[in-house]
Amino acid sequence: MIWSKRGISVSIEALRAIQSLLPDVEIVQTDAPADDSYGGAYSDKPQISAAECLEGRALRAHRVIGEPEVRFAGFLDGIQRARIQCHRNGVPVVLGTVAAAIRVRVDRRFTTWGRRTPVVSRRLYMPLAFLQCEGRTEVDGFQIVDTSYADDTSKLVSRHPGALRAVAFQRVGRDRDAAERDLAEQWCRDDAEPLFVDGGIGGSSHVASSNCAVGVVKSHQTLYADGDALDVVMGLRSGERSSVFARPAQGRSSVISWYLRLRDPRGHDAMFGLVRIEASVGGDVAARANEISRWVLAEASPLSLPDGRWDRMAYGIRDCEQFLRAIA
Amino acid sequence: MTQALGRVVATERKPNTPHEFHFWTALDSPVGIGTIVRVDGRRPVNGQIPRVYGIVTEGFSYTDLVTPLHDVLSHDGAPESAGFASAERAEIRLYSAAVLRQIPEEPLQPVPMGDVFLALEEDVNVALRMDGYLRDGSNTGIPIGVYRAGGTDATIFLDADFLVGPEAAHLNITGVSGLATKTSAVEWLLSSLFAHFPDSRGSIAAVCFNVKGPDLCFLDLPGKLDDGDRALYDKMGVPARPFENVHYYAPYAARGYALNTLRSNEALAHNVTPLTWGLREVLQYAEVLLNRDDIDAKADALIDFITRSVIDQTFTDPMLSRSHVVQSFADLEDWFRDVLRGLENGNKESWRTHHVATIRKVRNRLSNISVRCAGLVTDSGPVSDLPFGEFEDRATYVVDVANLEEDAQDLIFARVVSKLREHLERRDLGVKHVVVFVDELNKYAPGDGPDTYVRKMLLDIAERGRYLGLVLFSAQQFRSQVHKRVVGNSGTSVFGRMDPDELAAPGYSVLSPATRTKLATLEKGQLMIRHPHFTQPIFVRFPRPAVMAGRLGAEQYPQGGEVPLEVAVYRSLRARDSSVTLQAVEDAIGLHEESDILRAMATTLRERPADVLGTFRARLPKRITQSAQSRPSVAALRGGRNDDPYGA
Repeated sequence: MIWSKRGISVSIEALRAIQSLLPDVEIVQTDAPADDSYGGAYSDKPQISAAECLEGRALRAHRVIGEPEVRFAGFLDGIQRARIQCHRNGVPVVLGTVAAAIRVRVDRRFTTWGRRTPVVSRRLYMPLAFLQCEGRTEVDGFQIVDTSYADDTSKLVSRHPGALRAVAFQRVGRDRDAAERDLAEQWCRDDAEPLFVDGGIGGSSHVASSNCAVGVVKSHQTLYADGDALDVVMGLRSGERSSVFARPAQGRSSVISWYLRLRDPRGHDAMFGLVRIEASVGGDVAARANEISRWVLAEASPLSLPDGRWDRMAYGIRDCEQFLRAIA
Repeated sequence: MTQALGRVVATERKPNTPHEFHFWTALDSPVGIGTIVRVDGRRPVNGQIPRVYGIVTEGFSYTDLVTPLHDVLSHDGAPESAGFASAERAEIRLYSAAVLRQIPEEPLQPVPMGDVFLALEEDVNVALRMDGYLRDGSNTGIPIGVYRAGGTDATIFLDADFLVGPEAAHLNITGVSGLATKTSAVEWLLSSLFAHFPDSRGSIAAVCFNVKGPDLCFLDLPGKLDDGDRALYDKMGVPARPFENVHYYAPYAARGYALNTLRSNEALAHNVTPLTWGLREVLQYAEVLLNRDDIDAKADALIDFITRSVIDQTFTDPMLSRSHVVQSFADLEDWFRDVLRGLENGNKESWRTHHVATIRKVRNRLSNISVRCAGLVTDSGPVSDLPFGEFEDRATYVVDVANLEEDAQDLIFARVVSKLREHLERRDLGVKHVVVFVDELNKYAPGDGPDTYVRKMLLDIAERGRYLGLVLFSAQQFRSQVHKRVVGNSGTSVFGRMDPDELAAPGYSVLSPATRTKLATLEKGQLMIRHPHFTQPIFVRFPRPAVMAGRLGAEQYPQGGEVPLEVAVYRSLRARDSSVTLQAVEDAIGLHEESDILRAMATTLRERPADVLGTFRARLPKRITQSAQSRPSVAALRGGRNDDPYGA
């Protein structure tokens, strides 16, 4: 992992803060325990989930009608970075960095949304119960997130260092989701122009019910199609979308969703150029799906190369990530 | 406070140093190669916020593409579809700048991170250290042009003490031919120098050698200027006028009586003076005309003997048939003939230690000079010269040698510069400083080739002239081919549009590739300046000179043709006195010999009398006119009619 000079500086500050609290910690000098993930891969295992088709009786392929149309005014994305700074007897102390921003398009070039400054936060994630310093919420300017308990319950996490690490990293991811959600909600309150959200929009009821937010999911750990429907999705050709279906709630707000193939998958794996789109419930779902698909197809150029996910990633999202890497 | 236009950046691969830094700007910033910028540091050093001035020497632009192939793929190989992409790639404008000055100057540290601003006029003064010589009461600034970038117009001044001396001196201009860079720049700079040369530094004049075409032949006539030029003149405080006090000098054509110059139109004859030299003037510089094969120690001794013991004095010798007073090439030829006749009659092989062969050789070479330099060197001796000792402040003396043979050009150049030097050493030239402008330095002071008298003299001016007030403004197309000591001693160097081949010479490797590219594509009216106070070259604009362009002048004032003697004399005299008429000149000339007429005319022109025609008449040899001749009286025959023996 390559840390920026700014990152090194923050890391040293964090270590000083930790040592003021826990003088006997072992500093981790290698990069091995680090996690630098920018997607949502930290959570789910691959799975298939059935979904209710809202456009006809069964899921089928639809050619997107009309030319691609550039409509998205803003692009929202976030990043997270987590690194074990030190440990005491295997109990990890993680420095987590979370950032999120909206980049708006002005004259075909991207600039940061002026209504809200980008979110950048750095916190120390540590199981206070195992470090004998319960009750602390801050040290030397670093906010402390207690990772002693799983899912904010009163049940202590396993003392296994791997389990403690996993909880800490999950909390970092959750903070990132929160940062993105805050920004998306503010956009939906302040701006009526379409917002391209990297990932789903069901995490916020306000965003999920807004007509301006469109979630574009690039990873497909969960596929919302089984049986023949899955064949349809895997067989989508460039410029085709699936029928609209209702994404199962699973603790999230209801949204409509459909798959869209951005690029010709011939010669590539089955997920090549495949995205899943989420939009608010309501109206003529077929017409909305067609319209929003045209907007998303318009973002297929320019390519997001050299990013490895270029086949599914909009250039606005890549720009957003580059921006966040620069400032965080 | 102006808005920041960029930010300093440094990476491990591209770190900042005390002499170079990097910064990025917005895509639409007005920064370009040659732009002067200011960096304001953030952290104080020794209690002072560092401020760094730099000039952009290189620019970079790139996007987040790793390979061009990605862009091809982005647009399916169809360039026309690129305009339909939803967004443009992230792009950067990254610049490298060379440090001009750091404040504080100590400790000298790498350029700090900070905001970058476009330099304002006052910043430019500080950056180029002009604040040191533009102070009230001791202002020695000579405007050379206007630095222009992003709305900043700043006059760039040269320091007179480093342009004319005594601290440094001399100026050298390089540029391709045909783009009016070299001559125009010198004409402009002389105007500026005359307008701004500080009174405290004394008087100044210029001697310009017009070596080709009509370039410098119309300095006293107004040229065409547009509003942009006038604005530049106003900005720099230089009157947009032609030179007011210009004197032209040109020898006669080899055959005839017309001056050998493109400024021979009758309407412009008022300030054109013939340039003619006699034996004494030429013999002092015989070395210029005689190559090393001619001049061995024996010949040199004989020439020295002639100069010291024969010229301008009554020379007698028992061997000679008569005494000689040698004042002209004709007299010298008579003297040689008498000497050789004496040797033959006495059957001797040497005379006064000089062998007959040496005498014959020197005779042959010297006699030849008046033929090789016909028009300039006279056989019979009338001398018309530059007004050494009476040079005027802010006057320009143009010596037109454009149409002369190489020997004659060398002779004129050598003698004029030597005379200037002699008078400046004696402090009796009339002015304290003289700027000598020589074009085509490739020819007169080449880096290789024979060590000619002219090259030695140019080297001498370059190395020692500044102590005397003798300043060399030189120009050439290929600086790399000029003698290193001549260009190396030029305190100020000016570059116009350059030939790419020339820019490939090792001497230009100190310039960045972008600066070299800019030099190869400079517009007319743009120059790059190097001056002792400037730590980096600066690009400036200068206005068109306010004088008539040579080509236009040649069209408007066509060259006068060959004329009869009386017309040539009439034109020359009328230039001094408009009341002189052709009839009066014809009457005065009468039946006089041509040589007498030319001598009288030259003497009159040199003396500049109030009564021009009267003086001309007086300088002609006295002749008894037919009417005044008294007939011898004849005695009357005796007797009258009545005495006729055949009378009636």
